[in-house]
Amino acid sequence: MKFALFIGCNIPVRVPQYELSARTVLARLGIEIEDNPEFKCCGNPIRNIDQNTFLLMAARNLALAEKQGLDLMVLCMCCFGSLKKAAHVMRQLPSIREEMNGLLAKEGLHYSGKFAVKHLLSVLHHDLGIDALKEKCTKPFKTLKMATHYGCHALRPSDVTEFDNPVAPSIFDDLVTATGAKSVEWPLKLECCGAPLLGVNDDLSVELTRKKFADGRRAGGEYLCVACPYCHMQFDKVRQIMVSGQDTAPRMDSIVYPQLLGLAMGLERDALGMTLDIKEEVVAEPPAKPKKTAGRTKASATDVQPQE
Amino acid sequence: MVYTMLLYLALVVFGIGLLFKVAGWFRFNIGIYDPSLTVSVRIRAAIQGILSVIFSPKLATLIKVLVADVLFQNHLRRQDTLRWVMHMLIFAGFTFLFFMHALDKIIITSLFEKYYLALNPFLLVSGSMVLAGIAIAAYRRFILKVPRLKTNAMDAYVLIILAVILISGIAMELTKLSSYEHYQIFWDIHFLACMVGLAYLPFSKFLHVFTTPLSLLANAVMDANSHPANVKTRQIMELDACLHCTNCSKRCSVAAASDIIGNSNILPSERIAVLKEYVAYKEIGARGFAALQEGISLCTNCDRCTVICPAGINLRDLWFNAREEVLQREHAAPLVLTPFSFYRGLKRQEMTSDQYKQPLSNAVKDLTAPFERFSTGEVVPLGPQNSEFKKTAVLSGGTVTYAYCFTCENCSTVCPVVGNYEAPQQALDLLPHQIIRSLGFGLKDAALGARMLWYCLTCYQCQEHCPQGVKVTDIFYELKNLAVVEANQSSAQNGSESAAR
Ligand code: SF4
Ligand code: SF4
Ligand code: SF4
Ligand code: SF4
Repeated sequence: MKFALFIGCNIPVRVPQYELSARTVLARLGIEIEDNPEFKCCGNPIRNIDQNTFLLMAARNLALAEKQGLDLMVLCMCCFGSLKKAAHVMRQLPSIREEMNGLLAKEGLHYSGKFAVKHLLSVLHHDLGIDALKEKCTKPFKTLKMATHYGCHALRPSDVTEFDNPVAPSIFDDLVTATGAKSVEWPLKLECCGAPLLGVNDDLSVELTRKKFADGRRAGGEYLCVACPYCHMQFDKVRQIMVSGQDTAPRMDSIVYPQLLGLAMGLERDALGMTLDIKEEVVAEPPAKPKKTAGRTKASATDVQPQE
Repeated sequence: MVYTMLLYLALVVFGIGLLFKVAGWFRFNIGIYDPSLTVSVRIRAAIQGILSVIFSPKLATLIKVLVADVLFQNHLRRQDTLRWVMHMLIFAGFTFLFFMHALDKIIITSLFEKYYLALNPFLLVSGSMVLAGIAIAAYRRFILKVPRLKTNAMDAYVLIILAVILISGIAMELTKLSSYEHYQIFWDIHFLACMVGLAYLPFSKFLHVFTTPLSLLANAVMDANSHPANVKTRQIMELDACLHCTNCSKRCSVAAASDIIGNSNILPSERIAVLKEYVAYKEIGARGFAALQEGISLCTNCDRCTVICPAGINLRDLWFNAREEVLQREHAAPLVLTPFSFYRGLKRQEMTSDQYKQPLSNAVKDLTAPFERFSTGEVVPLGPQNSEFKKTAVLSGGTVTYAYCFTCENCSTVCPVVGNYEAPQQALDLLPHQIIRSLGFGLKDAALGARMLWYCLTCYQCQEHCPQGVKVTDIFYELKNLAVVEANQSSAQNGSESAAR
């Protein structure tokens, strides 16, 4: 099993633990990846402004993967949604595909649509399989309760992303359950994290995230589990905003899925980038030894660890 | 006599140019203006900063960078061997020529009494080295057509001046014994070209022989605790450290956008040149400014340029400060209302709340101006139907589905943005189903101007839940695209009107 890895713009600079843990976990699971330094922005941020520019930027990446002769594995859900959308448009409207190919020819690229675009979660769930994954989880969690956050752009529009059932999805829950953790049911599970509006309408963006925090906590979730850098950065940022604004409403830490999986597989914390995670508790005090001390009320993601 | 005068003239131009440049580093501003950082404060901070580094353990870092990165260009070697070879050939050859040949009277003759060689092999070897380096540079720029690698006039001048100096110099050496006449002609050409080069140095990318090492050294010792005055000074200086190698543009995440948008400011290496003029108060015109603003805003802050820049320029901070500066100066481009602003949101604590919000609210105001027109009438006029408009709103597949809407309001019911407000219409102008219906009625101003479009998360809940298969979110994307076109047109119109006045 081999994929071209699409990391996107944000992960390497702002969520490096996601990349690190994904690489570590994938290597351990025997899934090969090939990097391509030519991959650039997926085009998502420009969709509001100009459809054709978005399509060209996305098509360029798709064509590059085609040149490598590999299916794409994407870590970011916004990149995933964007690449899927472009592939879909170019499949439906051959005239647009030809137009893009005309522009891509300058760089010696061509897109025909032979290769698939998959999100990391789909690869783990469909290509590897839950049973195989469970086998690898030698140190499963016993009591951990996770609020699984699906993320919009992988899930919807479902006819384009072909990720999961859009109203009753299960693959992320299955993946979390495979680590031994419990994936709690929470009403706002499928709602947006708020990230697309951070920097545009912060009051609205922050409020949506606060609602998710409160809802996840109410349902008994200890952490949010995410598989998208935007969701992760959003949760981190809003927590920071809440702390500095002395907002006492419930907050939640989020953890990227490969870290959770890696811990259940008994992998080294360093190889999973656990200390790279910017957590408010970590910011406030030096990272505590990964051990639950009595009397400590707020759990920290650095404390997530398999219970024997 | 004439030669001596020319030399002095070139030296004077060189000296004044250099002074002028250095003065600019302390005079010009980039980023949000801070009146407390006057020129004298900045000069004092710079001197203090330099002294405190020299008399601290950081001196070791400085020396390490000087040897590894400035002299041997280790960072460049790791990235691009051909460019490293090119650089080392020109650098080593030129250094040798400079000390052994240009300054030979001063240095060599004082060391070796009888220094004279009819045909100096050292000169020929080092001259050929530089020439080979120039050949590689020319090959990269003119033959190896790297996509989007731009060559500007200055790149060409610099290569031509260097080539003339070298070729005439070598010809001079070769004709030294055979023909005095030819020798004299080549000598004149050689001398003149050297003087032109010397005089042009402070105004051209030749200057990087000073500024690039400065940038590498400054960035090696400066950190988050550095005096803000020094950060400003460094950032202005860094603009002069750019050698227009275009490496950043080759790696830039959004470079491909320039193929369609046709704004060279999207490429970081080109943007930096415009930025340099802009901070030096040169007139770049309203169009030039808009292009600069668009270029700076269209950046994912992926840091790839910062990592790759051989001059060690901290482009990450440069873009951040430059973006604030151009956003505060004029109404912001629609790009601020996209995920390109996410990074700005992450860094919002670095500015005041007003500074942060003003560009956003201005952009929303500009883009939703049509709705003002639409809603000022007491009774909302139904029509006239704008069938032309309906046709333009079908850029890609699926958008025509607006016609299937039967106003069940599902889309608005599931929308988390609508759900967030007690009185959503006050905050958003129109709800999603109303926008779809406006489109159906051909009410252009309503469909394009509602704030709902720009406060849409693009979460696709509406589209997923529409019983009629209306592609609500995709339609919103296209309406936003159209609104941007309209806004650009009307601002271009206003621009030309005000220019006419
Ligand atoms: S940070 Fe911006 S300018 Fe630099 S490479 Fe990334 S997108 Fe391009
Ligand atoms: S990489 Fe650095 S030196 Fe080269 S063009 Fe870009 S900013 Fe200038
Ligand atoms: S859900 Fe669909 S049919 Fe119902 S109002 Fe919205 S767009 Fe119209
Ligand atoms: S895509 Fe936009 S309009 Fe649709 S539900 Fe989400 S926020 Fe509302």
